[in-house]
Amino acid sequence: MKSTLLLAILLMTASVGAQGRAAQAPAAARADAPIDLTGQWVAIISEDWRWRMITPPKGDIVSIPLNLQGQQAADAWDPAKDEAAGEQCKAYGAPGLMRGPIRMRISWQDDSTLKVETDYGTQTRLLRFAAASSPGSRSLQGFTSAQWIVRGGGRGATRYGSLKTITNNLRPGYLRKNGVPYSERAQFTEHWDVHSLPNGDKYLVNTNVVDDPVYLQAPFQTAIHYKLERDTSKWDPTPCDARF
Amino acid sequence: MGSNTMRREILRPTTHRPSTLLRAPRARAEGRGTEAQRQRIKKILCVSVSLCVGMIMLDKPAFAQVELGGTYAIRMYEDYIERGPGSFLGDFTGMPMSDEGRAKALRYSSSLPSTIERQCLAQSPWVGMYRPLALRFWSEVDESGRVVAWVMGGDYLRDTVRIWMDGRPHPSANAWHSPSGFTTGHWEGDTLVARTTHVKTAWIRRGVGIPGSDQSTFTAFITRRENLLTIMTVQEDPIYLTEPHVVSRVWEFDPRGSQGPLRDTCNVGVEIPSLEDTGEVPHYLPGQNPEEDYMVRTYNIPKEAAMGFAHTLYPEYRKTLRSTYKPPESCGRYCCGWIERQGLPGAAPGLTCNDGNLPAELRKAITAPAR
Repeated sequence: MKSTLLLAILLMTASVGAQGRAAQAPAAARADAPIDLTGQWVAIISEDWRWRMITPPKGDIVSIPLNLQGQQAADAWDPAKDEAAGEQCKAYGAPGLMRGPIRMRISWQDDSTLKVETDYGTQTRLLRFAAASSPGSRSLQGFTSAQWIVRGGGRGATRYGSLKTITNNLRPGYLRKNGVPYSERAQFTEHWDVHSLPNGDKYLVNTNVVDDPVYLQAPFQTAIHYKLERDTSKWDPTPCDARF
Repeated sequence: MGSNTMRREILRPTTHRPSTLLRAPRARAEGRGTEAQRQRIKKILCVSVSLCVGMIMLDKPAFAQVELGGTYAIRMYEDYIERGPGSFLGDFTGMPMSDEGRAKALRYSSSLPSTIERQCLAQSPWVGMYRPLALRFWSEVDESGRVVAWVMGGDYLRDTVRIWMDGRPHPSANAWHSPSGFTTGHWEGDTLVARTTHVKTAWIRRGVGIPGSDQSTFTAFITRRENLLTIMTVQEDPIYLTEPHVVSRVWEFDPRGSQGPLRDTCNVGVEIPSLEDTGEVPHYLPGQNPEEDYMVRTYNIPKEAAMGFAHTLYPEYRKTLRSTYKPPESCGRYCCGWIERQGLPGAAPGLTCNDGNLPAELRKAITAPAR
């Protein structure tokens, strides 16, 4: 009978322990996913339309907390120079890409890596749950570490959660198509949530923060929303473009 | 032993037939206790303790929901112009408007909100998504401490939004529509999901006349993660929208903001004396709004994008834009994140970008090298 009591206590303890935990064993990331991020998502450009759908004029830095150095860098934007240097993808690095007019396909590359592909600029981001021995050299998409934030799930309750990712090791890029800069010291933190409506529509909300001690005087915090598409026919890969 | 059997054992009146549990000590004292009786006592004790612990735990939520209470500072890094100085007239970009909504918005005149009857019209539930001020959340609890409602206050000017958490149903469709609407909520993990019905006719964006009807419903997803608060609203309106209007915003927890005043009362007054008691409703007749082409002539964007057609919200619309859009030569107005404040308290230090409104003397003063 002692074993009955012990079992009951152990079950309850395990249940409580399952709540609010983070950082699953890397190999179990796919199986342990509390939310399903896979599928094709389209950005709904209902905010900042004039800055996201088209390239705004040079010097239009409204709403981005640039410091003086950042403003000077934005004022020096020259797309022709970027093209000549083979840098026409500078606005397609992770911090700028996610706010772009994108469709993205999210899938599991393996049990511990989520792959995010975009048609806009044909970029690929890898969200890695497993620890890497070395992040490698700096790149447009940087190195992204990922962890599930799990809530609930005890005693048969519904399991909820979100994904937290941190990206660094970035090459310098643009937050906005018209040359609003971020530096190689920028860190890009994202929280990925999936919300559903009663009619079955699903939305992905990416709450993100760009910290950049070089060009920003305050963290740049935004929330970007996407809708899940059942019809994937509008996927339209287009190369980077420094001007449009 | 099943739980019902055990409950009968515990609750059985001892005056009629002493329970095994209560009879056992006397039996032991009398040296008549058997091994079977001792096992029975242990069994009852074990199950009772387990059940008590279980009941205590089941009385609480399966996990602790996020504490929403507190004040959240605005972070206007999105839709700055709509939330700050106010939209340009004729700028309906990013909106999925119906023909009726577009027609009504184009009749809007900047003097319209000055009429007494319409001074509070702009304020409706979730209008905070387009306002420039902070939010505050607090809970209302019953005698047992259980949260009955979360209340969202701030720059609503007409009322707070009370999110009922006690499972009450929404009223009849024919019930009164109040300034704050009627909202219920439930938790999904760290997200408070709220649904609002029974709203009044209102304007969706500030200063531009985009209408929302009293048949609008809102689903709001409120997520607090560490110090960041994210709210995404999905507004559905069968009258003035052709598809849900989705907005997502970020606020940041402000531990020193709790003493700030709430602006939750809309006070009306005469703003344009010449309008008083005239019965006039400022408006433009169809086709006569002089700002209908403002976005076309100022930013070179197609008129259908400025006029809020839903298909212009999606990436494929860039194919149309690519062949028609020519960027303006320069940014002429509202180019900084802190327009109207350059060089003033609260301004971003050192920024000298063109806001289009700054007096020349002030611009000269703040752009002079620091000594």
